Amino acid sequence: MQYVKLPKENLDAFVENLKAYGKVYGPIKIGESHSFQEIKNSKEMDLDYTRTMIPPKKFFLKLKERIFIFDEEKGEYEETLEEGKTVVFGVHPCDINALKLMDKIYIDETPDKYYKMRRENAVIIGYSCHPDEYCFCQSLGTNYAMDGFDLFLHELKDGFFVRIGSDMGNTIASENSELIKEVKSSDIEEFREVERKREEEYTLELNIRGITDMLCLAYENDVWKEYADRCFGCGSCNIVCPTCRCYDVVDNVNLNLKSGERLRRLDSCMLRKHGLVAGGLNFRPTRIERLRNRFNCKGSLKEDLLNCVGCGRCTVYCPSEIDYVEVLKKVRGEL
Amino acid sequence: MENVLLPNLAKIVRTEKMTAIERFLQAEVLDTKFAEVFDYKPGQFMEVSVMGVGEAPISICSIPTKKGLIDLCVRNVGRVTNALHYLDIGSLVGIRGPYGNGFPMEEMEGSNLLLVAGGLGVAPLRSVLQYALKNRAKYRDITVFYGIRTYDTMLFRDEFYNLLAEGDKLGCKFFLSYEDSNDKQCLSLEAEHSSRCMTGVVTKLFERIEVSPKDTYAIICGPPIMYKFVVRELTKGNVPPEKIYMTLERRMKCGIGKCGHCIVGDGTSIKYVCKDGPVFTYWDALHTKGMI
Repeated sequence: MQYVKLPKENLDAFVENLKAYGKVYGPIKIGESHSFQEIKNSKEMDLDYTRTMIPPKKFFLKLKERIFIFDEEKGEYEETLEEGKTVVFGVHPCDINALKLMDKIYIDETPDKYYKMRRENAVIIGYSCHPDEYCFCQSLGTNYAMDGFDLFLHELKDGFFVRIGSDMGNTIASENSELIKEVKSSDIEEFREVERKREEEYTLELNIRGITDMLCLAYENDVWKEYADRCFGCGSCNIVCPTCRCYDVVDNVNLNLKSGERLRRLDSCMLRKHGLVAGGLNFRPTRIERLRNRFNCKGSLKEDLLNCVGCGRCTVYCPSEIDYVEVLKKVRGEL
Repeated sequence: MENVLLPNLAKIVRTEKMTAIERFLQAEVLDTKFAEVFDYKPGQFMEVSVMGVGEAPISICSIPTKKGLIDLCVRNVGRVTNALHYLDIGSLVGIRGPYGNGFPMEEMEGSNLLLVAGGLGVAPLRSVLQYALKNRAKYRDITVFYGIRTYDTMLFRDEFYNLLAEGDKLGCKFFLSYEDSNDKQCLSLEAEHSSRCMTGVVTKLFERIEVSPKDTYAIICGPPIMYKFVVRELTKGNVPPEKIYMTLERRMKCGIGKCGHCIVGDGTSIKYVCKDGPVFTYWDALHTKGMI
């Protein structure tokens, strides 16, 4: 890993220069929550944020997108790909780790052209954070991004300790050499100290040892009914989850009934239709099965990673205040 | 880069009304280059698109004897399948696939095969049967149990008639069960082939033949309710769980393990039916909750 330092007074100019690599998106404050939006300058951003409502997955697996158009008269399907370069500034370690998980499914397995293209056309600039009472990424080991970014900025008193995580990151650093400095031993000291203190800031803990077994053993447990009774089945947890990736597909027909488009949009396993097949059979007919399925999905392994990064969004944005960590503590029999 | 979500065009070349709700469709891939590489195994399925209506997963019920040709047996239960029932010969459909793991036909070589089909479940098993009969020397005894409700719901009637009458000569013992004991046509079939045709659910046929547990692979497909009863008969006959194969139905929108609808299982074992299946063993079902 290469390390450089970006002085605070150079941040504005640095963000300005990032526009050379694509449309720059950063966290801005909207009402009480945050959102990644296109920014004109760094002052629009609120880098002192905890979590955005919608995670950065929205840049790669769009909430809704057209995948192709068709024309029956011409007898053809034609793919529709929007090309465009993106710079996402200020991504937290949990979200970077979530993208790594998404990459396993959308790039490493049968690659999804749309996702892969956008990932390849995107620059990820990580940014250090401080946990609130809902963050449990430390328990999952996702509170630090060891890779999966181009640059990662750790805030120090007078600047940013920058880790260069890719060739692209190195290109950006070298093309902005007038804005960055070499790292001094005092910076390294400070970086170590900041990281040490950050580890001590976590208040929420989730024991994930044996979690897959605990979920399997609790399959018939009353805990699912208890929380399903409170669950509205609204799917908010899926939309805000950085690793939820279910999508639905719909065809829209033009007025001539001959041509149209196929769309895909983010789906939710908490909705009744998710397990429904033609003919009316539903494999997850009640909220009990759907809630249990969601927790089992999140608590299962994709290779060596759990499908949860501990960002806390599902708890924060649940309208019924279902606490993810609390549910899993009940699953384990701790509560 | 290949776009796996983009369908290939295929033309409907043959259709046949099989029952009140099932229709046989044969489709031919248009693109000759794609037809050349297009291959599939028994038990795999296609994502079939009708322009302007949508896309649905449909089992292939044939083996690739002619390049670029697939047989589908479609029950009219939803929007896409309904549209497929009204397509004329020459109409275009979109196809993606084949998807899924299919049945391990090589692994089963040298063993007896017992195929247990209920209703529309016979469609994917038809491809297994065709494959096994085409490669007859590779397998020992081939036994087929087919359960129908009434004569009117029987699929591939001519083919199975033939197997009922001539099956032993063609290398397969074919048994038929029917649920409606007042069905006249079934009763006359039974009168004609009393040792091979009887009233009752498909598991009743286990009374007719002894399953040799040592060398038998069982292959099951039918309505979800059928599995545990068939499995009970097989385990009673000591067929080991890893030799009981079954193919599952789920909502499979993408076919490539991404859209998530076909998820099944618990924390210790999550499966996407479209990608990890649709063929699973009973052992898979034992350690993956919610499978059957």
